[in-house]
Amino acid sequence: MAEPALRLRGICKRFGAVNAVDGVDLDVFAGEIHALVGENGAGKSTLAAIAYGAVRPDAGTIEAGGTVGLVHQHFQLIERLRVWENILLGREPRAGLRIDRVRARAIVRELSERHGLAVDPDALVETLPIGIKQRIELLRELVREPAVLLLDEPTAALAPSEIDAFFLNVKALAARGTAVLIVTHKLAEVMGYSARVTVMRSGKLVARFATADTSADAIARAMVGGEVPALAARAPTQLAPRLTVRDLRSGAGAGALGGVTFDVAAGEIVGIAGIEGNGQTLLADAIAGVVPYTGEIALDGRPLPSGMGPAQRLESGIRIIPQDRRHEALVLDWNIVDNVALGRQRDPPLRSGAVIDRAVAQRYAADVIERFDVRPPNPQAIAGALSGGNQQKIVVGRALAGTPRLVVAYQPTRGIDIGAATLVGSRLIEARNAGAAVLLISFELDEIFALADRVYVMYAGRFAAEFARSAIDRGRIGALMAGG
Amino acid sequence: MQRTVRDALIAVAVVFGVGSLAMLLAHVSPINGFGALLDGALGNPSEVAETLLQTTALLFPALGVALAFRAGLFNIGAEGQIVLGGMTAGILGVALPLPGLLLIPIVLLAGAAAGGLWGGLAGFLKARFGANEVIATLMLNTIALLLATYLIGGPFKQPGAGAAETPPLPAAAWLPVIIPNTRLSISFILALALAATLWYVFRRTVFGYELRAAGDAPEAARRAGIDLGRTAFTALALSGAIAGLGGATIVMGVLHRFNTGLSPGYGFIAIAVALVGNLEPLFIIFAAFGFGILQSGAIAMQAEANVPRDVVTLVEGLVIIALAGRRFIVERRTA
Repeated sequence: MAEPALRLRGICKRFGAVNAVDGVDLDVFAGEIHALVGENGAGKSTLAAIAYGAVRPDAGTIEAGGTVGLVHQHFQLIERLRVWENILLGREPRAGLRIDRVRARAIVRELSERHGLAVDPDALVETLPIGIKQRIELLRELVREPAVLLLDEPTAALAPSEIDAFFLNVKALAARGTAVLIVTHKLAEVMGYSARVTVMRSGKLVARFATADTSADAIARAMVGGEVPALAARAPTQLAPRLTVRDLRSGAGAGALGGVTFDVAAGEIVGIAGIEGNGQTLLADAIAGVVPYTGEIALDGRPLPSGMGPAQRLESGIRIIPQDRRHEALVLDWNIVDNVALGRQRDPPLRSGAVIDRAVAQRYAADVIERFDVRPPNPQAIAGALSGGNQQKIVVGRALAGTPRLVVAYQPTRGIDIGAATLVGSRLIEARNAGAAVLLISFELDEIFALADRVYVMYAGRFAAEFARSAIDRGRIGALMAGG
Repeated sequence: MQRTVRDALIAVAVVFGVGSLAMLLAHVSPINGFGALLDGALGNPSEVAETLLQTTALLFPALGVALAFRAGLFNIGAEGQIVLGGMTAGILGVALPLPGLLLIPIVLLAGAAAGGLWGGLAGFLKARFGANEVIATLMLNTIALLLATYLIGGPFKQPGAGAAETPPLPAAAWLPVIIPNTRLSISFILALALAATLWYVFRRTVFGYELRAAGDAPEAARRAGIDLGRTAFTALALSGAIAGLGGATIVMGVLHRFNTGLSPGYGFIAIAVALVGNLEPLFIIFAAFGFGILQSGAIAMQAEANVPRDVVTLVEGLVIIALAGRRFIVERRTA
């Protein structure tokens, strides 16, 4: 076999007491798409950062047959600049002291044609959809002609059709001789596009597969280190009217909510399938009471007018698992105890007179830590220092504590690993079994199909169709999501 | 905790490092300069009492500034709130014919109310119109000072007096002295009690919890049912009330009358004090004492070591830049 384009030997990295990466060897060859998978905290992102040179390993060697490029999980674009400015940032062609704009545009155009990644060099990045932004991220690395391209969860924000297009581009890159390493937790992508798979768990390399010789189940078992836990069973429930929404409209322009009408009964999970940016955010925010709207929202027949804020909605039993856990749900500088209390600070028994009862707060936190297997199981741990999955467990745990009447779950398993996602899904089903109405908004069809009793497909701010659980048609839903 | 220690060390390093440099430039040995400063501040019991007086004058506004900071708000209007609190005390202390037992608490509360009104005005502008509280409180400083200058130079001027000041307070309105033959009054105890109260409020109460949530993660707080506008208003009003109370204690405990020179910038130095104390009320006590030493030793340093007292102003300003600057950089980075 040829020399690998990227060769890692004996890589070790500790963060405090944690062995993030523990003696890993990895080869990635020119022309292959190599998937690096593992649960949250398995060390895969750290390993990618080490290969890129952003993190210095404690031990081990890195050899690369050329430049190494890295596309981050979170976009690193400057929204207020144009496409060419972003792509050529730091390497702009110059004409004297000025930037040679004509040549800059030509470089970007040539690059974009050569790789088949169409972009308008003069577009403002902030005006572009997510799929195009991902292309720009990719082009920015491709300017440097990398021999090795590292992609860290590159499709986290993409719609199904955008994901397909993205991988076609990646495949073409590999075919032209680039070594591609994809860090991901989405097994469908691994199975669909990679040639080889390396699995990490707790910092160690635990399995290597040729993709053609393995299955998604076998990879998942290697990631989890045993059988993948099953979802909680759906119990038969007595449906009773709970949430009614009539001709709900909010916002204007792209992402506006253009009039939706639906009900969610107590004891059912209603899924909203759709591509990000089709009005889901405003739907959740309207129910949460943080944006103005027209139309009607009622809970148990009691209308919730547009001006009614989050405090009263919380009081009436509405719990929101928001889109952005870091900004909308958690106080990152606080410990788990104080974060679990957030939203209930005025409710007895947590509030006792003017004071927060610390024993009750401790008990609430201990409940969430136990029911959701939060790690570390230390109530004093600072939320910002937890992994994304454990942060999400706190947010979900807080929302499902007690007996919520309505739970709005916005991408409740975004960016969390299989074990944690199954746990969150099971808890949502249990809340439904116990009589909560659950509105599940997700961009991941698998999640909707696994959890929802009924599905609405959302496109351009409205519902394009409704499916009962028994009549779910995956192909039809995928087409409707794209506006077909 | 680590950060508190680090901030305190930064402050001490700035004070001694830059202070020494400035003294060397003034051709004075830093050992002599700081020696004179410390001797002047702590050399004998009456000097210690003067230092505690300065500590008190800084502690009130620093606690006020810290309260606003905890809610994510930068109150740089403490100076104006001190002036209005002091003015209200100076006017009412003379005008109300009441015995001391009633007069003192009423006048103190009136001073707090005046400062609270001024802080609350900035809070109202923020809550209602989204006005930036930094600009609002800064501009209200000027208005407060001009308003006080007008009122005591005109309507409330002491008849026949040359200077613009209120008539002297009756002894019934004087705060009782706690160390005989010094000017240190019960206001020192009051300030310590207030620090302890705020410590409890931040740590234990629902109000303190909501205040900190609004400051540390406004969007998460809003979604958890916390009214950000009301919190901003309450925080700035209370912040102003605490600074105003401080102004009243200066008038009732030290000057025994009001004039517009009652504060040599306590409201601004208080920002440094609050930051050095890492916004923790109990640490702020020690920070106020440290700055109290600087304030009270500065005159001795000027007289005995020939170091211009501006050196103290210089290092205080640099401490603000070092700590406030860093805090804002951290906030911007995480925003």
